[in-house]
This record gives sequence, C-alpha cells and structure tokens, in this order.
Amino acid sequence: MTAATLPVRHARAKGWWGMAVFVATEATLFGTLVGTYIYLRFHNTHWPPARLPKPPVLTPSLLTAALVATSIPMFVASRAVGAGRREVAWRALTVAFAVQVFYLVWQLHDYVDAIHRYPPQESAWASVYVTLLGAAHAHVLVGVLLNAWFLVRIWSRLTRYRAVGVQATAFYWHAVNVITLVVLVVQLSPHL
Amino acid sequence: MTRLRLELLQWFGLFGGGLAWATQHVVGFGISDSGCRAAGRQWDLPVSTLQVLLGVVAGAIAIAAWTAAFVAFRETHAVDNDAPGPAGRIHFFAQAALLGNVLFLVIIVLDAVSTVVELPCRQS
Amino acid sequence: MAVAAPSRERARIEALERAWLERPGALGWLTTVDHKRIGLLYFWTTLVFFAAGGIEALLMRTQLAQSGERVIGPETYDQLMTMHGVTMIFFFIIPMTTGAFGNYLVPLMIGARDMAFPRLNALSYWLFLGAGIFMYSSFLVHQAPNAGWFDYVPLALRRYDGGANVDFYALGLIFNTVSSTIGALNLIVTIFKLRAPGMSWNRMPLFCFAMLAASLSLIFALPALTADCIFLELQRKLGFHFFDQAHGGDPLLWQHLFWIFGHPEVYIIVLPAFGIATSIIPTFARHRMVAFPLVAMAELLVAFIGFGVWAHHMFATGIATTTLVFFAAASMLVVIPSTIQIYAWLMTVNVGTPQFRAPLMFIGGFILFFVIGGLSGIMFAAIPFDQATTDTYFVVAHFHFIIFGAAVFPLLGGIYYWFPKVTGRMYDERLAQLSFWLTFVGTGLTFFPMHIVGLLGMTRRIYTYDHGLGWDAYNLVETIGGFVLAAGLLLIGINIVLSYRRGVPSGRDPFHGGTLEWTTTSPPPHYNFAVIPTVSSPYPNWDEADREEDLRKLARGELVLADGHETPETTVNDGAISAVAEMPPESPWPVLAAGTVTAAFFLLLTSHYATAGMAFALMLLTLVGWNLHEPEEGVG
Repeated sequence: MTAATLPVRHARAKGWWGMAVFVATEATLFGTLVGTYIYLRFHNTHWPPARLPKPPVLTPSLLTAALVATSIPMFVASRAVGAGRREVAWRALTVAFAVQVFYLVWQLHDYVDAIHRYPPQESAWASVYVTLLGAAHAHVLVGVLLNAWFLVRIWSRLTRYRAVGVQATAFYWHAVNVITLVVLVVQLSPHL
Repeated sequence: MTRLRLELLQWFGLFGGGLAWATQHVVGFGISDSGCRAAGRQWDLPVSTLQVLLGVVAGAIAIAAWTAAFVAFRETHAVDNDAPGPAGRIHFFAQAALLGNVLFLVIIVLDAVSTVVELPCRQS
Repeated sequence: MAVAAPSRERARIEALERAWLERPGALGWLTTVDHKRIGLLYFWTTLVFFAAGGIEALLMRTQLAQSGERVIGPETYDQLMTMHGVTMIFFFIIPMTTGAFGNYLVPLMIGARDMAFPRLNALSYWLFLGAGIFMYSSFLVHQAPNAGWFDYVPLALRRYDGGANVDFYALGLIFNTVSSTIGALNLIVTIFKLRAPGMSWNRMPLFCFAMLAASLSLIFALPALTADCIFLELQRKLGFHFFDQAHGGDPLLWQHLFWIFGHPEVYIIVLPAFGIATSIIPTFARHRMVAFPLVAMAELLVAFIGFGVWAHHMFATGIATTTLVFFAAASMLVVIPSTIQIYAWLMTVNVGTPQFRAPLMFIGGFILFFVIGGLSGIMFAAIPFDQATTDTYFVVAHFHFIIFGAAVFPLLGGIYYWFPKVTGRMYDERLAQLSFWLTFVGTGLTFFPMHIVGLLGMTRRIYTYDHGLGWDAYNLVETIGGFVLAAGLLLIGINIVLSYRRGVPSGRDPFHGGTLEWTTTSPPPHYNFAVIPTVSSPYPNWDEADREEDLRKLARGELVLADGHETPETTVNDGAISAVAEMPPESPWPVLAAGTVTAAFFLLLTSHYATAGMAFALMLLTLVGWNLHEPEEGVG
C-alpha cells in the first residue's frame, strides 16, 4: 500500500487541531482576564468608580455585530478550500478581511480615547478594562494578519498546506468572535 | 443500541461529572466569596440556599454521568480491553468514567454540606 | 532480521534514509527538526540548569549548616533561594520531562516518525534556551529575581523591590511560558493525530497518557501565570493598579492567579514521572500494569482535580472558611487517584516476577518517597494543621520529598532505562546500583530532618537562625545529606559518560520492554520505523504476531511510506488512518525566530518598547520565511 492507495477516513488535519489547542490556551487567558474583572468587582462597592462615566453601548455593540458576522464568509472560505475552490475562498476571505480591518481601525481609535477617559494609572477598574480591551484588539490584529497572509498565498495557488492554514484561520476567527462577544458583555456590564 | 447512543453515553459519562464539579467549584467559590465582601453583601444573596441548590444539581449530573458510564460498560461487557476501537475504546473509557464520577460526587457532597454547616464568613 | 535483507526491502530502507537525512555537523544541530535530536538538546541543556540549581542549593545549605553563619548575606541568599526554585521548576524539571523525555519517546511509543509539528518543536527548544539565558543574565548584573519563586506582592512591587530583579522574573517567565505552551501543544496534537493505525485510546501506552495529562494541564494552567506576570509588569513599569487595595485592587489576586497555575504545575511536574514509573514497572516485573484503565484515568483525574485545589496554598490568608472548604474537599480527594496508582504499581510488581535492576530500584525509592511526601501533603488538607505549619520547614520537607523523591527519582531511573535505546550501549549495572543507594541515602538525610525542624518552628526563607533554638544539629545533617546527594548524582553522571564510551553494545531490546521504542534499533534511525507498526495492545513489543506482520509489510512495501518525508495521520479516538502527512525537512527559521524573540524580551526589560516592537516585527518576518517553505510542495 502506497500513500495513494491507503484507505482514508475523513478527519480534521493536524494543523486544525494545533489551532484548536492554541485557541484553548488563548480562551483560558481571556478567562483569567474576565475572572479578574469579576473577582475585583466583588472587592469594590463601586465598579467602575463612581466618578467615571460608564462605557459607551452603541458603537461597541454595532462593531462587534459586524465582526461576529465575518464568521459567515470565514466559514464559506473554509469549506471552499476544502473542496479546492480557490476563487470562491479568496473572495470570501476578502469580504471578511475588509470588515475585520474596518472593525480594527475604528476600535483602535476608540481604544486610544478610552485610555484617556479611563486612565489605568488611576484605578484598578480602568487597569483591567484597558488590559482586557487591549488583549482583545491584539487578538483581532493577529487574525487580520493571518487573513492578509492567506489572501496573498491563495491568490496564486491552493495547496493542501495553505488549505489547512485557511481552515485553521477560520477556526481562529470563530473563537475570536466568541471572545469578542464575551468582552463586549463585560465592557457593557456596568449598565446591567 | 445504536452506535451514536453508545458514544453519547460514553462521552457524557467521561466528562459530565467533572464538568458538574468544576461548575459547582467556581460558582460556589464565587457565591461564598461575594457573600463575605462589601460589594457582594449589598445584593443580599441567600448563600446557603444557593449552595445547596448548586450541590444538588451538580450531584444529580454526576450520578447521571456515572449511570451513563455504567450502561456503556454493560453494553460492551463482552469486549476485551485490548479490542480495537470503537468498542474497545468505549469499554475502556466507560471503566475510567465509573471511577471518576464517584470521586466527583464525593467532592460535590463534601462541598455542599461544608458550606452550609460552617459559620458563614468566619475567617478561617 | 537475521539474514541479509532482500534487495527490495533494502531499497525501501535506503529511500527512507535518504528522505530523512539531515545535514551533518554543528549546523545540523542548529537546523534540526528531528524529535530525537531536539530531545537530546533539551536533555543536555536542562542538565546544565539542574547543576546550576543544585549549586544554588548547596550554597544555601552551606550557609544554613550552622547558626549565625556568614558565608552568604541576606540579599544574595534571597537571590539564590528564588533562582533555585525558578531554575529547578521552570528550567529543569518541566523541560526535562516534556522536552527531553516527552519529545524523544512519545513519537516512538505511538509508532510515529516525528512530532506533529517538527519545526515548532525546534522553536520550543530555542525559545527555552533563550528564556534560560535571559533569566540567568540577571546574575551578571547582580539583579537575579529575589522575591521567592512565587514572587508575592506587595513585596514584588516597585515600591519594595525597585531594581530589575522582579522584571527579570516576570518577563523571563512569560518568555519561558511561550516555549512550554508550544511544547505542550505539539505533544497533544502528536498524541491525538499521529498514533499508529489501530492504536485506539485503549491501546496507547500509559507513558503517553501521563504526557497527555501533563500537556493538557500546561495549556490550561500557564495562562494564569502569564496574566499574573503581565499584570505585575504593567503595574511595575506603567503604573497600572491590580494588586493595591488603595486603588481597588487586591494583593490576593496575585496569589489566586499564581496558584491557579502553581498547583497544576506540581502535577505537571509529577505526572511524567508517573509515566516513567508505569513504563519501567511492567518491563522489570515482566507483567502488564494491573488495572490499566484505572491507572490511565487516574493520571488524567489527578491533573483535572488538581485544578481545583489552588487555594490550599492560601489557607493562612484570612479567607472565609466557607470559601476555603471547596479547596479542602478537593485536596483530600485528589489523593485518591494517586493512591490507586500506587496500589496498581505495587500489585504489578507483586504478581509479576521482578528483576531489581537499577531502573526498578529508582522506582522503588520513588514509591517510598512519594508515599512519605503524599502523607505530609494530605495533612495540609486539614486547614488547622496547615495554618500551624505554613511557612515552616515542614512544607519544605513535603515538597522536596515530592519534587525530588517523586519527580526526580523516576527521571534518574528513566535515564538508566532508556540509555541503551538512545546510545546503543549498556550502562554499568553495579555502578548504577551504587549511585542509587548514594542518592537514596542523600535524599533521606537532606529532606527528612526538615519535617522535624519545621515542627520545632524553623521558618522558611531565612538566611540564618539563632543558636540555641534546637535547630543546629538537624541543619548540619541536612547539609551533609545535600553533599551526599550531590555525590550520588555525580556518580550517575560518571556512569553515563563512561558507559557512553565503553559500554557493552545493548542491541535493540536489552530489557524486553513492552512499548514500541524497543522494536526499532538502538539508537533509532532518523525515520524511527521502517514500517509504521501494527498495533493490537498497549504492549506491542510483547505481541510477536504483530512484529512478524511488520516484517511481511516491509516485504510487501505496505505502510513504508518511503516516497517522501512521510508519516500517517489517524483519527483521534480510534486510530483509523485519515491522511498521510508530509513532514518538513530541517529549517533555520526556528532558531532565527527564537533569536528575535530573545532580543525583544531584553528590550522590554530595559523599557525600550518601540525597539522591542521592531524585534517582534522581525520575528513576524522569520515566520514568513518559515511558512514560505511548505513541506509537500518543496520550496514555495
């Protein structure tokens, strides 16, 4: 039996599993950040401190909705590369990439504002808030870079290595989208 | 018994008790800690009631998981431990789960009883 | 094969050798992706750190040998004490068990040709080396970490510890964490996806279950430490507030996050040792492990329940009892899986026909020390007893019995056990048994009196003590014990070096072990197995029919996979073939990437944030170079 004639079962590639384990560790990291927020919440009667304005609701919610929606084109891209349909995958990736870049640029601009409005050097709440948001945006940036890389790579040719890479990236994005939702809830929790 | 049902029983048996205990542990720690802190006290939670409820739910899941493991074990009783998967693997994990769920159930009961019996918020 | 292999088999083997060849010389070691070579790199590097940690210990013991000694002053003592703990835990035992033993043995035991991600494997080693260099460079500027290996706040805040000591600590650990995470990820995916066809979960060796449990624990525990260290550096360098009550923080936050990592860490330390014990015992008892499914589950249970006990390190911090009971209950129950394993080990030796050669003797010592250390450990689960003995030498005795007795002894036994496989030569048995007795007596002498002197009130983390407290004699005995222990370890080293040069050739299978590494040559070829092995039990080397089937498969050319640099991928649960993976050849990118990351961390330490950003950008470029080289398609 050579490689060409082995009986194969359909299963996820090891590259996908590598991303799954990586996602597990990053999700745990966010778990500790959110856990820290909740833990310190119990230690403070006013959380956030009474003098600080509560975080905005509308912009973060709309932006998050847009980002989470990119799971759809990422899913399409993931299926397309599995079926060898390079052009469909590339177009889906482009749509996702455009929305993700738009999200990131807007959020980074708002993040700089947030640091001025909530100086971390003045309260633990602001320290945790700024760190949590910063971590979330950093993970979105990594996802954007991954998408950009594959846009370049599958423009010319689709190999199995690149296809697994796109599928792993899609999984990464689904995880980041869930994390972004959780971070949004934490961000808006003072209003609850 | 269908293959799918056997698989579900085995996986629930393997993970159910552990997840139930982990949830009781984290949530119970939170309930107890919040009841003893300035910020949490303002919500005036019925701490003992919640802990008992948490323990009962977690304990029920652990018992259910043990039962699922037992059914999977019985269903594969004729299978040797070295047999190929899926039957051999299911039999193997079913035995493992029979052990695990007993331990988780004991911890769950100890937790629920202790949080109720102990004086609340007394520094240890 | 007793007769010369027919030409077809030889041609296939030659094709494998050509496909898997790496370049010779020093450059070959820098670019290697072979898991066996990377395992050896880890082995020697961790031994250097072991020696460093040992010297730190002997210096401390010399200072403590008598009351009022002035060999070492308090500031230096604090640095030695901290670095001893940091070195032994982060730069010796974890990389030795997962990086050296795990890397070398797991692919062999599951019938694979390499780890799932060979280049990532190399990266995890070079990052580890970079992190070790980073951490130890602190000694060059006399600012080694000095607030204990657990680095509690508020002592570790800039207000009380203003030099670079704690920054070395926090950044160095974050750096090392990246290496450990990558290593753990690789082990998990390898165990999930690269097991030989037919190796369903119930046919996987117990050593691999132990490594899986340890690796899963690393994945879920390390983020807590990373978050903690990030918070600490943000507070120290940029004035954030996480740990000070005045601004809404909490000093106990450091302790919670640290021990959420720290307790699983101790199971991460001991689980691979369990794995080594469960490999050595069946071989020398010549009997399969009794209650195999329960032992496999016990290894996973210890790791899982171990995530719920962390606050037993905080029983003396004033937290309400109703909160602490969760941790006391879990701490009592976590003992049970370990006990099940001990009973299984002892019963296996009992029902088998044991040969008490050096590896099994080390396991005997391990079991004794593990029972003693476990008993003192379970005593701490009772909150009142814990509060009486917190921060005394009783605790130091407990964890050294566990870490040295229960984690290092199996390592030493494992070094002897697998020495023939790695080098092709036998160690000297008589010298090995002598080295065992010396190490065993030394360990007992060093650590047992600590129980007593701890109950007599000697506190931890002191650089000297007054005369007349009744502690002097015990401390002197402990110091003598430390040097006896060092002599024993040195004797092991001498045995290894001499046997490497002059040992009798060992052959493929000197001990008639049960697992797959014993089916291939000593040392194994680059490609591990000429044929991907047939597996029908967790002890494939004892299944003669399967090994004969392998020879027939080689003759037929079945599952030889010599067309390229190939190994099969199989399904996670039942080991059915799902793909043939083309593995990458050697690559310079991992060592280059690690170099850029090392530079970045030095820049962060010295607060050159913009330049550190540039170093990270440079790292991204090395990743580009890395990914341009795709395994299947040749150079992309």
